Amino acid sequence: METEQVNRVMGDEEKERARGVGKKRKVRYTGLFIRLVALLLSLAAAIILGLDKQSKVVPITLVSTLPPIKVPVTAKYHYLSAFTYFVVANAVASSYGAVVLILTVANRGSKAGKLAKAIIILDLIMVAVLASANGAAAAVGYLGHEGNKHVRWNKVCNIFGRFCNLVIVAVGVSLLGSLSYIFLIVLAVLSVHKKH
Amino acid sequence: MASTDKPDVENVAAPAPEKGAAAPEVPPRSSLTVVEVVLRVLLFVTTLTAVVVMVTSKQTEWVPVPVPPFRRLNSARWTDSPALVYFVAALSVAGLYSIISTLFSISALSKPGNWKFLVSHFVLLDVLLLGIIASAAGAAGAVAYVGLKGNSHSGWVKICTIYDTYCAHVASSVGVAMVAAFVLVLLILLSVFALIKKSLK
Repeated sequence: METEQVNRVMGDEEKERARGVGKKRKVRYTGLFIRLVALLLSLAAAIILGLDKQSKVVPITLVSTLPPIKVPVTAKYHYLSAFTYFVVANAVASSYGAVVLILTVANRGSKAGKLAKAIIILDLIMVAVLASANGAAAAVGYLGHEGNKHVRWNKVCNIFGRFCNLVIVAVGVSLLGSLSYIFLIVLAVLSVHKKH
Repeated sequence: MASTDKPDVENVAAPAPEKGAAAPEVPPRSSLTVVEVVLRVLLFVTTLTAVVVMVTSKQTEWVPVPVPPFRRLNSARWTDSPALVYFVAALSVAGLYSIISTLFSISALSKPGNWKFLVSHFVLLDVLLLGIIASAAGAAGAVAYVGLKGNSHSGWVKICTIYDTYCAHVASSVGVAMVAAFVLVLLILLSVFALIKKSLK
């Protein structure tokens, strides 16, 4: 009877350990999944704004007696430094995400010590860079949408409507991407917190 | 007899304020907590500086106008641009948060048993705040850059040639906000690595 009890205790311990390993694996898979989502979101944001281009012919009246002159105008992301920064930041974030994904899958079996620490540091930097890029693109997009009468910067979104809408979409997608990087750090902290 | 009594008394005395939670290994934590308090005070100082420099950026100048008398007085304020308003709001929130978290860190210094609970909760708020400060600095920096260089494609003229001290205030404020973000990164890394170290024990 005593041996039975011992056996049961052993079984419980083993089960407990197996559950712990399973939980760890679950956390790791969740982390990989969120990293993949973050990668895809920042890649999508970079592509949306990078390929965003709108050309239009705008009639401009120089002298009221003459008929208006038709001027072709184009909107592209690299005409504004903030949008360039946004595209570069998102491209860097997505390629960083791809590198980390490959590294974590390659080092699946081994114990990740230094690599995990480096990943946490770089994740934090990505959060800061993506957030500042979002802030910059959103501020300039707002300026294009509303203009600023104090310094007489006119709105341009009444001409480039589709371009501006795609800027809003790109900023939204990139915002979700930076939130998933924040969630990755939260996951790392929580997994450390729960471990003991 | 006396020698066995003494540590017993200490053992009873130490866990009492912690409600017997855990962590007899208190001493090595306190130096980290001191660094944390210093960094949090630094965070408060930088956010306060950024807000004060931005709010005091008003500049009044004569600007040319197309109708007679061809010039008038015009002032540039931080409230003129929504991006700068967001910047001031975000850094004020960060300053308030840094006061509260400094108080909690100091309380952790006197009652080390609370350390783990505090750190694991504050680190999440810290990350969120890092995102907010970075986005505010990005927004203000982008608008300030347009003011500095102008943009010929959208017909936005540069204004920093007229409002020079205004632009200097905005630029230095954004710079100080970046220092605040860096301090916040250090704080988060400190907490996360301390948590990892503790979990490896």
